[in-house]
Amino acid sequence: MSGQTVGANCVRPNTIQNERKLIFSAKDIHKHYGATHALKGAGIDIREGEIIGLVGENGAGKSTLLKIIIGAEEPSSGSLTMHGKLYSPRNPMDANRAGVGMVFQEQSLIVSLTVGQNLFFGHEREFSKFRVINWKKLYKEAASALADVGAGGINPRKKVSDLNFATRQMIEIAKVINVTKGASGEKCLILLDEPTSVLSEHETRNLFEQMKKIAAKGHAVVFVSHRLDEVLEITDRVYVYKDGEGVGDLLTPEATESKLYEMMVGRTASGEYYQVNRQREAQEEIMLEVKDLGLSGVFKHVSFQLRRGEILGVCGVVGSGKEELCEVICGDEKPTSGEMYIKGKKVVFSSPAHGLREKVIMIPKERLAQGIIRTLSIEDNIAISSLKILSRNKFVTVKSVRKQALEWISRLRIKTRGPRELLMRLSGGNQQKVVFSRALASKCDILVLNHPTRGVDVGAKEEIYTLIRGMVTEGKAVILLGDTLDECIGMSSRVIVMKDGLVTGEFAAPPDGKPGQVDVVSLMM
Amino acid sequence: MAREARASMSITEEFAAKIRKDNQKDKIIRFAPIIVLAVMSLVFSAINGRNFASVSNFTTILNQLAIPLLVALGLTFVIMIGSIDLSINGTVGMSAAFLGVLVMNSRNGMDLGLAGVLLAVLASVAVGMLIGLIHVHLKIPSFMVSFAFMFICRGLGLLSYQGRPPRILDPVLTEIPRMSFLGMPAITWVALSVLLLCIFIQEYTAFGRYIYAVGTDETILHSVGVSVKRVKVMVFTLAGFCFGIAGVLGGIRLGQGDVTVVGTGLMFPAQAAVVVGGTALSGGKGGVINTVVGVFIMTVLFNGLVIMRVNPYIRTGVEGLIILAAVTLTVARGAKVISK
Repeated sequence: MSGQTVGANCVRPNTIQNERKLIFSAKDIHKHYGATHALKGAGIDIREGEIIGLVGENGAGKSTLLKIIIGAEEPSSGSLTMHGKLYSPRNPMDANRAGVGMVFQEQSLIVSLTVGQNLFFGHEREFSKFRVINWKKLYKEAASALADVGAGGINPRKKVSDLNFATRQMIEIAKVINVTKGASGEKCLILLDEPTSVLSEHETRNLFEQMKKIAAKGHAVVFVSHRLDEVLEITDRVYVYKDGEGVGDLLTPEATESKLYEMMVGRTASGEYYQVNRQREAQEEIMLEVKDLGLSGVFKHVSFQLRRGEILGVCGVVGSGKEELCEVICGDEKPTSGEMYIKGKKVVFSSPAHGLREKVIMIPKERLAQGIIRTLSIEDNIAISSLKILSRNKFVTVKSVRKQALEWISRLRIKTRGPRELLMRLSGGNQQKVVFSRALASKCDILVLNHPTRGVDVGAKEEIYTLIRGMVTEGKAVILLGDTLDECIGMSSRVIVMKDGLVTGEFAAPPDGKPGQVDVVSLMM
Repeated sequence: MAREARASMSITEEFAAKIRKDNQKDKIIRFAPIIVLAVMSLVFSAINGRNFASVSNFTTILNQLAIPLLVALGLTFVIMIGSIDLSINGTVGMSAAFLGVLVMNSRNGMDLGLAGVLLAVLASVAVGMLIGLIHVHLKIPSFMVSFAFMFICRGLGLLSYQGRPPRILDPVLTEIPRMSFLGMPAITWVALSVLLLCIFIQEYTAFGRYIYAVGTDETILHSVGVSVKRVKVMVFTLAGFCFGIAGVLGGIRLGQGDVTVVGTGLMFPAQAAVVVGGTALSGGKGGVINTVVGVFIMTVLFNGLVIMRVNPYIRTGVEGLIILAAVTLTVARGAKVISK
């Protein structure tokens, strides 16, 4: 195990920056979602004319922080100030009024309306007389607002649905700046959440030009991205987040990709935690092989072999294509290129039901929405994927369903009052055990585990690790998308890394030679 | 590294290509209704010759179109916000009945004249508003609320004349069905003015923009501080207004405030017209002009089938098939969840 200690790498903010006026500041922000502690005392200071980078792994708390700044979420505790005054926006509109605007990752334009109509959506009054909109005036103003952000080439009378993503992004930015500009005479704060993920190289260049112009006017920009090369190119200062906390900020000229990687990777747990001593070498038999698999516009050229008794970890940030890869493997989505072989036999799945017949099953990420049926009992939930096995002459008896459930309840130690109890009454960890029971009862031998420990407490996590180790010892093969990078590496016997839809690397992960998180992260971002 | 970059570029390109293809499909769907209308007119002209393609038949079509158009206009806005209004037959019938008992008639001593007309429309406006309010505040699906109101209104209408429908005796109102201007019936002129009003609302008011926005994504309105509830209630109220006008005109044309005659068989053709015109049931797309085309398609189709002496029972079936085909074409494909 190559444990990484990162504390020493934190660099404190430098001096020149401090001369500029502070626009925004957040101190000791905490945010709880139920049992999850998404932000643990996060803070950020933003000055006039700064372009700030915000980087970290998925789940590090970047998005949560942005949502709090824009007023879409309320912090559980902590304080925010804007222009030196206390700032507590109740919704994005409040934030706009105070001079904070955000370009959301999900596009927030109304595609059935024109560019101009979108720019001034909700502000039509300013162009109306007796409630009748003066379109000429509105479009004239729209053209000048677009020109302000260097997008004067966009025709404000065009429908948004006819425009490409880069153009839409520029409109979003023009809209945000316009809204914030109109709202406060002071300098604004513009938040950009992964703005380049849908842009081409050339479009990204253009966006950067605009960001520089905005900053030159004294406004501040926060740029969140998984693309560290871009962050290093455009920003003045970078904040690194990890596990809901800021681990430090450094001036961009002093930062390098490897420095940032080291700061952002989380704690490496002991091998014991992941029961590495139970990790066995994979057997010879190839259970699943994919060759040059691709899904148009999402991922391509993915090839690997999965052997009996092996856990194959797939690492990558959101949007790397790993989730869709799982969907293709279990039959939920049809690949547009490449081939899949199960135990040497070529298969083309038409549905997850077809995948199930070929003994492939996925434990989905969104347990509540996709993994279980809350209003059914434990026994019925377990039986859903195994009714064929239980049935005699097309009929399934209550007795066999109950017998199966009782067996799994005792084997997985599900805490319940009985097999008739409704799933919604169980804790998250026990619900997940039911999902596992369902998958195991289906007698599938290729399991795709998509964040199997998401949202369960530490104790339940441990039991799930035991369960996974047990499964592969019995001779099943597992594809694992870990909830954290550490988990993915710790559990897997081999790891593949994906970035922007391509496999960027592969690591062997034997018990005595797990790859370092930094090495894996550097291929992810 | 360079090879990697190229390959990842191509994923972005693939993605862009997919979006472009979707947009092209969207454009085709946008123009499909008008093409369908043109082709249909040509086919009927070819089969029926002068019987179909004549000035007098065109006037007939305009005449037949008035009330379906009014109903479909009201429904258009409701469908554009992604809701549905099934109250049509009830509200239209109720307005006709109220008109019957409020103006000079054969059943009672009332003689309110124009005020009676206004009150009849107002009743429908009030019902529309009530449907909207109940829908948004009690969070009951619009189809259920409006369906209930179909029966409530029908009941109110029947109650107003105690079972025997009143004949309208008001001298001005009885004259209207025979009046025409520039060769077009007065009733059609009224429908056209409501059409203009709807176009105006859709194109020149903030409310018009909000209707599109609600149908596309409600969260966007929340973030700019526009009340989604208010927009929805206003849409249902506007629909009530259109249905009210339709009911009053229906009553005047029939010369009788008969709930069961005026308020029958309107709803399904109206839904068909709106959808055939290209307004998606999921909301956000289409609009008033689409509905005009849709109403023309439906009216021309039935006019053509009548001229060809097609069995009326078959015509009803055809209506169902058309709505199914139109919905099939406009529905968002690729969605994994089958919509409820």
